[in-house]
Amino acid sequence: MKASTNIMVVDDEKTICEALMAWFVKDGYRVETALSGADALDILENRRFDIFLVDIKMPGMDGIELLSRIKAQQPDAAVIMMTAHGSIQTAVEAMKGGAVDYLCKPFDPDALSLLMERVMAHKSLEKENSVLKERLLEEQAGAAEVCIVHSDAMRKVFEVVEEVGPSMAPVLITGETGVGKDLVARALHLKSDRAFGPFVAVNCGALSESILESELFGHEKGAFTGAVKTRRGRLEMADNGTLFLDEIGEISLKVQVSLLRALEEKQFLRLGGSEPVYSDFRLISATHRDLLPLVKEGRFREDFFYRTHVITLHIPALRERPEDIPPLADYFLKRYVEETGKCLEGFTGKAIGLLSSYAWPGNVRELRNVIERAVVISKGRMIGAEELKFLNPGEMPLEQGPRTLEEMEIDHILSTLELCNGNISRAAKNLGIDRSTLTRKLKRHRMSTCDEKP
Amino acid sequence: MRNLKPANLLNNTGPEAISAHLDIIPLGKVDPLALSVVAANLKSIMGINARILPPRPDPLYAFMPMRNQYDAGKILLHLADIKDGARFRLGVAHLDIFTPILTFVFGESQLGGNAAIVSLFRIHDPDPALIYERAAKIALHEIGHLIGIVHCRTPDCLMGFSSNLERLDGLPLRFCSACEYEASCCLSRLLKNP
Repeated sequence: MKASTNIMVVDDEKTICEALMAWFVKDGYRVETALSGADALDILENRRFDIFLVDIKMPGMDGIELLSRIKAQQPDAAVIMMTAHGSIQTAVEAMKGGAVDYLCKPFDPDALSLLMERVMAHKSLEKENSVLKERLLEEQAGAAEVCIVHSDAMRKVFEVVEEVGPSMAPVLITGETGVGKDLVARALHLKSDRAFGPFVAVNCGALSESILESELFGHEKGAFTGAVKTRRGRLEMADNGTLFLDEIGEISLKVQVSLLRALEEKQFLRLGGSEPVYSDFRLISATHRDLLPLVKEGRFREDFFYRTHVITLHIPALRERPEDIPPLADYFLKRYVEETGKCLEGFTGKAIGLLSSYAWPGNVRELRNVIERAVVISKGRMIGAEELKFLNPGEMPLEQGPRTLEEMEIDHILSTLELCNGNISRAAKNLGIDRSTLTRKLKRHRMSTCDEKP
Repeated sequence: MRNLKPANLLNNTGPEAISAHLDIIPLGKVDPLALSVVAANLKSIMGINARILPPRPDPLYAFMPMRNQYDAGKILLHLADIKDGARFRLGVAHLDIFTPILTFVFGESQLGGNAAIVSLFRIHDPDPALIYERAAKIALHEIGHLIGIVHCRTPDCLMGFSSNLERLDGLPLRFCSACEYEASCCLSRLLKNP
């Protein structure tokens, strides 16, 4: 970091400038000197500096005035004031003006060395912080891009996001698999005061009860076989941020009780622990299931249900908002063209027609995968019907007359499985859904594949 | 003297080994043993042939009555101006030296130049061996600057900046591998092209 750190020394005494320059150059910094405030400002026109050492008493523009001019032009710079005639009043004035410290000439070697270490550590933290903030803003822009909305239905969703984002209220996001519930959750987090805090996501459907419990609450060393060291849970990690629980309908009643207590008391115990752990997090949860019937059946606790869905956001399925399909397809096309380096300009009219009339049971995720596949196999400058023929246009809903959604889903799953020679994993990938979701659908529709083990 | 073991950065076996690369110039009255230890360490650790010249008078031209100290920068200019002699000059003095920005320095040198100075004034200890070891460390550090090496952040490297005796005593009498390599390259280049 030192070699890339630029320092400017401003002092009307040439010997001081030279001595400081010699010291800093030996310490590996890049140094520039100026004999007056005016000279310093001339240099500042074209160059940026990380650290300034400014003498307070100089003819013409004094150090205090130069400090304010530097702070106006380069607010991130660290300014250290120097004086041969130390007084508390000037020190206070300098610190109020934004100086990081104040040194009396000549300096004690220890003082200069420690001050530089401190300033460098501070600069390094500032740099890290700004990199993280930039990354977050990029992420924010990314999330916004994916949540491309042309339909009124989605506009309404994002109006609610804008409204409830800054509040602390728990939000339940509902919608079919693949509609982008996780992205909406992230958008809510980014709109909140906790945007610079952590966003911790847990897919509750993918974990067994005991693993989920340990994942959420953490555990102490020796809490169970294999707990060789203490581990922080996701609730703890989400402190000052957002906890996103996906597939909340899959959580067992036992874990629901523990979560409810943690939500109400803002504290919980790690598995095997006796000391309470405090965590201040906002809960956003999501499910593709209708939770009310589960509550009635006693498979989902009523108190937990009301605690988690203070605000409900329903994300409509892609087929319910066909006007979003072309802009989303364009967005994914751009993204995969960038990734693959292919020269593709867009979609033919026929291709757009195909995409718009398809039912998209896997929703946005399926659309994304379809576009990725089309980009990979395309050979021309446009994506046409040829690249989308695996969508089975013969079974397109518009060409088949009115059919139920369930019938369409069964047909689509079967044709995709056929294309994938019965391989469930590959079919799930093509459909844009998890393998477990596809298996569940197969069971529900009592379908079988050659991939299933006897 | 502790730790006189050496990596010997410059492998001198040819005829140039006989000629001196560096003159050690005592300024005023200086313990001759301290000079010998410095010369021995420069030879054993950096491979620099150092010869000890007769003492010169106290550098009164550099005395600053206001600070009751000697200006290290002025002494360096004086040493650099000496006609004849070896390419590098190392002044050793029992005087309190300073630079315009620091209250005192243990040593000072011209980065990439040809003059350096070591002060024995602030490194006193009842154990003479410790004084000699400190003098050798300061000399090696300043000669490191002389051949163009800047301060090093690696812990336990002689090119780290020592602002007090505690830090100086905590350093071993050697360079880290990166500084050792850099010193060997710089020395080979400088001594081949005087």
